[in-house]
Amino acid sequence: MPAAHFSACPDCDLLLNRALPQIGSTAHCPRCACLLHRPRTDSVQRTLALSIAGLLLLFPANFLPLVGITVLGQEKDGTLWTGVMTLFNEHQWPVAILVFLSSILLPFTNIVLSLLVSGHLHHNRRHRYLAHWLYWLQHLEEWAMLEVYCLGIIVACVKLSAMADLQLGLGLYAFVGLLFTNALLTSNLDGHLFWQSIAQLNGQHYEN
Amino acid sequence: MKTDTALAQGLVRCHSCGCLGKRNKQPAKCPLCASPLHGRLPHSVQKTLAYLLSAYALYIPANIFPIMTVTKLGSAEPHTIIGGIIALINSDMLPIALLVLVASILVPLLKLIGISLLLLYVQRGWTGDAYRWTVMYRIISFVGRWSMLDIFMISILVALVDMGSISEVLAGPAATAFAAVVVLTMLAAKSFDPRLIWDNQNQP
Repeated sequence: MPAAHFSACPDCDLLLNRALPQIGSTAHCPRCACLLHRPRTDSVQRTLALSIAGLLLLFPANFLPLVGITVLGQEKDGTLWTGVMTLFNEHQWPVAILVFLSSILLPFTNIVLSLLVSGHLHHNRRHRYLAHWLYWLQHLEEWAMLEVYCLGIIVACVKLSAMADLQLGLGLYAFVGLLFTNALLTSNLDGHLFWQSIAQLNGQHYEN
Repeated sequence: MKTDTALAQGLVRCHSCGCLGKRNKQPAKCPLCASPLHGRLPHSVQKTLAYLLSAYALYIPANIFPIMTVTKLGSAEPHTIIGGIIALINSDMLPIALLVLVASILVPLLKLIGISLLLLYVQRGWTGDAYRWTVMYRIISFVGRWSMLDIFMISILVALVDMGSISEVLAGPAATAFAAVVVLTMLAAKSFDPRLIWDNQNQP
């Protein structure tokens, strides 16, 4: 049986005729309702634009204070880094590393990988590691947890509001911007299209 | 086995890029993305079980030991996860208390139970409504990350509230255990192959 006209559902392995939905509509598995394909308008260009925006927001979000508090006249600012550093100094290094990975390093890696992949695809340039980048992007995506961190900030602020005066910092606005950029990035990146384009660039035939 | 799955037709879907290839006797690599090709995730049940048991073991210290110590004007007060929620309720912050309750108590517990049930389903060859079990698996994979809420909150608190004996928040031993539970349950969900649920269904 030639594999070219078929695809398999990732969640239940049902063999399906290849579905090519129009932009704006979706293809679901008839058996387990898994979302198979959701094509996006200008996926490559939007991914490129959003990853540049994300890269610009990364620096203020990382280095400007997110929240500041005043207790008994003493002021203190918190950035993404101070949390990690304080945990590290308290010898809580497993937690410090986890927070560092999920709130600083992996969001950064994801944006850089998106930029590399979409930049190459936009200019129709081949690269030896193009497939590796997309592979790692897909695997590291779920470990970047900006939105959970944002909820953490809200809960921490509520807890602190009883005992201290809070000031929202500029970094927080950049952080929320980064959060939305990241969410849009994830939803605009069309995995099918990207893999297909990479296959075309490599002169390979991509089935599914 | 019924013949409607790709595997039954001798085809294998790449886990990373989704391309469909012929199944070979030898372990093969995907021609496009070079990740190894398998019909099902290798040793899925064993790996999931290993992560799950470690998560169960760490769930106990995560809830017994203090997750943070709050010092106010010289008096240090250790908080467990549940203690933190009770403190929130006592200070009339019920919505936030509910949020923390869901993220740090209910989600990890339901995840542990859910993954255990999924493993039982696959191992025991149950043939209940496979669609419902798949939906449960999807919910488990989706909500896992939200349990990190408590860990992030602590990382913000320790950075901000750091004024020696006047007021200080220190992370406690349960923080490491709790973070490990979250990561281990996420790994357990990731190493579980939902297609095993449907393979059960297809057995005569």
